[in-house]
Amino acid sequence: MRLRIDPLKCICCGLCEAACSLHRDAVLTPMSSSIILHLDDKADYFGLVLKTKSEGLVLARPEGVSPGQQSSGTGGPGAKPILLREACDMCGGKANCAKVCPTRCITVVD
Amino acid sequence: MYLRNNRIGILDLASGEVSEQDLPDDTDLERLSSVRIADGLAREHGGDSLVLGTGILTASFVPAACAGIVRSARGVMPVLGFAGVELKLSGFDFVVLKGEAAKPGYVWIRDGVMELVEAEAMKSLDSWGRIDRIRANQGDNKIQVLAGGPWCDAKSPATQIVTDYWGGEDKSGIGAELGRMNLLGIAFRGMGELELQEPEGHFEESILLMREQVARLGANEGLASYSSSARREDFKALVHRHVACYGCPFPCRSFLKIHEPAQEFRLVAKEPGYLHYDIPALEKALELGLDARAATDVFIKCARAGVEPVAALARASETSQKVTSESVAAVVSGVRDIRTSATRGNFEASFPDRSTYIECLGLGLCPRYWSKAGFDKDVVARLANSALGIGT
Repeated sequence: MRLRIDPLKCICCGLCEAACSLHRDAVLTPMSSSIILHLDDKADYFGLVLKTKSEGLVLARPEGVSPGQQSSGTGGPGAKPILLREACDMCGGKANCAKVCPTRCITVVD
Repeated sequence: MYLRNNRIGILDLASGEVSEQDLPDDTDLERLSSVRIADGLAREHGGDSLVLGTGILTASFVPAACAGIVRSARGVMPVLGFAGVELKLSGFDFVVLKGEAAKPGYVWIRDGVMELVEAEAMKSLDSWGRIDRIRANQGDNKIQVLAGGPWCDAKSPATQIVTDYWGGEDKSGIGAELGRMNLLGIAFRGMGELELQEPEGHFEESILLMREQVARLGANEGLASYSSSARREDFKALVHRHVACYGCPFPCRSFLKIHEPAQEFRLVAKEPGYLHYDIPALEKALELGLDARAATDVFIKCARAGVEPVAALARASETSQKVTSESVAAVVSGVRDIRTSATRGNFEASFPDRSTYIECLGLGLCPRYWSKAGFDKDVVARLANSALGIGT
């Protein structure tokens, strides 16, 4: 079971990030999520960065999904870099990010 | 209290002195309205103070729980996008700004700290330049900025504050208050954490409601789902993507690209277009004969200058026979003492009555979304109960 991201379905609502933090720490915070929004708002360029156990970082950019390094500025210097965060554990099978995603941008696949 | 920092920050711009006061505990949703609390803070600290605040449900999983507010003597504007949530995560529930800064600068709020940063050189920049400079100086491109432009500096009655480059929230000239206070902007970044009373229960209940609402609303077309003005072919041809505010499953924001093809998904142009969600401005532009491309160009100029576009368009129509992008640019290039002609706010017009608008906004919910989805106080109270342990 893993997450599949279709970045062009993303509307940048941020619910996946919030749902992930709720699973991690039982609080709402942008500091602990395994999935984060990457956003360049002035250019309307946005997508998701997911830290996985098996594939490392997955960059779900508008032009496509690929493995890679965290883009500069993704979480800001004050934020905990995603590489230092825990990898996605699928919320123990619940996959809350997929559950909360309103556009099915994030789905669970086998 | 859950979903709160229980802190109010007060910054005296004249002295730079920061003080704090506790947010009184309460269990009544009406009394917890951000608008009501901001009114009280303005009475306490001076009617000419600027009060920023967040709703009790801001940042929760209640659909479209994205809204904060700015309250001034001129009126109340919503703070949408991610700005409301970031403000709450910055460590303050409310921020009171009073007095006048001796030198131009901006207010910088993060991690429960608030300060006035002198930035005289930034005054020569427009609002977009100020946002870029603040983000670069503080080294974080996720900083949220409520920025003024040259029209705000000049205290024109027809100003608008832009929120992270875009306009549509400030229809009562609150931008002029920034000018009066010698502020170029207000910046904040949130890395705090917020607790929920029943995290799992609130999450599950909110998702159920969101799914029901989304199924009922049907396919989303961005701004076209909220305004017939955005259903024109020339508008649709320029749409790049639709963009939501925090927690909104049915966005009203459509980004139009005018400096590169709409379907360019790589990061190429740095400033390819504009995020449309200002319905009165779009209606006015189209009514005066502009097409979607020209309207987008006009809105960019207005946002950069910090001028309210309905007012600029109205002035251009008085001074030239045919309104064009150039004639509006001529209005925008000089600061004029014109008044905004928008009789009702962009988001305020979501509800037929102002009291429901204020009630919805005061909870931290986007009035436009909730008007569309159907604002049901009992439903909201149920979700407030799982989030806060109050409301039913």
